[in-house]
Amino acid sequence: MQIFDYIGYFLISVGAIFLFLGGLGVFRMPDFYTRVQAGTKASTLGAMSIILGVGVLQPEWFVKTLVIVIFLAIANPLSSHALARGTHKAHQKPIVKDEKIEDAYEIAEHKAEEKNIK
Amino acid sequence: MKKLIVITLLLILGFYLMSTFISVPFGAERIAGVKDYYLKQSPETLKVSNVVTAIVVSFRGFDTLGEVTVLFLASTALGSILYRRRTHHSGLNPQREAVVSSTLVRTGAKVLFPMIILLGAYVFVHGHLTPGGGFQGGAIIATGFLLILISYRKFFINHNVLTWVEALAGTTFVLIGIGGFIFANQNNFLENFLPEGTLNNLISGGVVGIIYIAVGFKVGAEITGILDTLLTIKEAGLNPDEN
Repeated sequence: MQIFDYIGYFLISVGAIFLFLGGLGVFRMPDFYTRVQAGTKASTLGAMSIILGVGVLQPEWFVKTLVIVIFLAIANPLSSHALARGTHKAHQKPIVKDEKIEDAYEIAEHKAEEKNIK
Repeated sequence: MKKLIVITLLLILGFYLMSTFISVPFGAERIAGVKDYYLKQSPETLKVSNVVTAIVVSFRGFDTLGEVTVLFLASTALGSILYRRRTHHSGLNPQREAVVSSTLVRTGAKVLFPMIILLGAYVFVHGHLTPGGGFQGGAIIATGFLLILISYRKFFINHNVLTWVEALAGTTFVLIGIGGFIFANQNNFLENFLPEGTLNNLISGGVVGIIYIAVGFKVGAEITGILDTLLTIKEAGLNPDEN
């Protein structure tokens, strides 16, 4: 049983570190898109590993925690995808230093719209 | 003159309120009796391990019936106010259909919807054992329907079905209450008349669990109806000829 305790505590510490990094990313990043990717990636992994660690520490909760982990793995990236897409649709520009960088997605959408009009 | 009358009335009201509250002592010795009664009676007599649920559904069940009625009235009022702005033929809104959500959101909503419904059902079925209950479970179920509604713009909710679910759940609540009159030992409204079962089991607490399941269905149907009504209204002034 001892080894499972160590695995559980390890997972919880990893999760705590990643949640902290995610919070730091949201705080430090310059614009919406970088913030949402920092928040999503780090906090998804952090929350998942914390919940999985709890499941390893308490074996009778393991199935429930697995269901929660699956839910998080689907819901968390999905919601931030919807947020980022909505922001892009609202013509929010990301902060770029290099002016030559183009928004390929927007150009493609623009072309598709022009085709539809024709 | 008017102000003087108002001030006098307020002073009289304040005086009587103060004289009532002064008689309640600080230190809450009088409230302690009620608290001890609830804490003692809900596991022993009612076999409900969640004391909050025992208070909400059993000791103050009549109050909860009133709350459910308030929610029903609120949803009815909202529906009747917004009814004229709704599209009558299919219940669909062309404005709403024009916005397409991405494939990811649509697929994800399909996967997540059963899980959300499962969580909501779990919360209101276990209302007498764990934190949560009918109101919370119903709200969770409504969020599941909201997810489907905003990702599939053409998803159509039949309001007749919602009305029937609501009506049946409300009737179940009242019928259980009347059943207390007829079958229970003490012949009170909402008195428990089913076997209590054992503490901490799923089937325990007599009528408390059944009432919370009915409340869950009712709240879920009502909030889903409110959300659907809010989503199907047209923007005011867009089609002036229809109003």
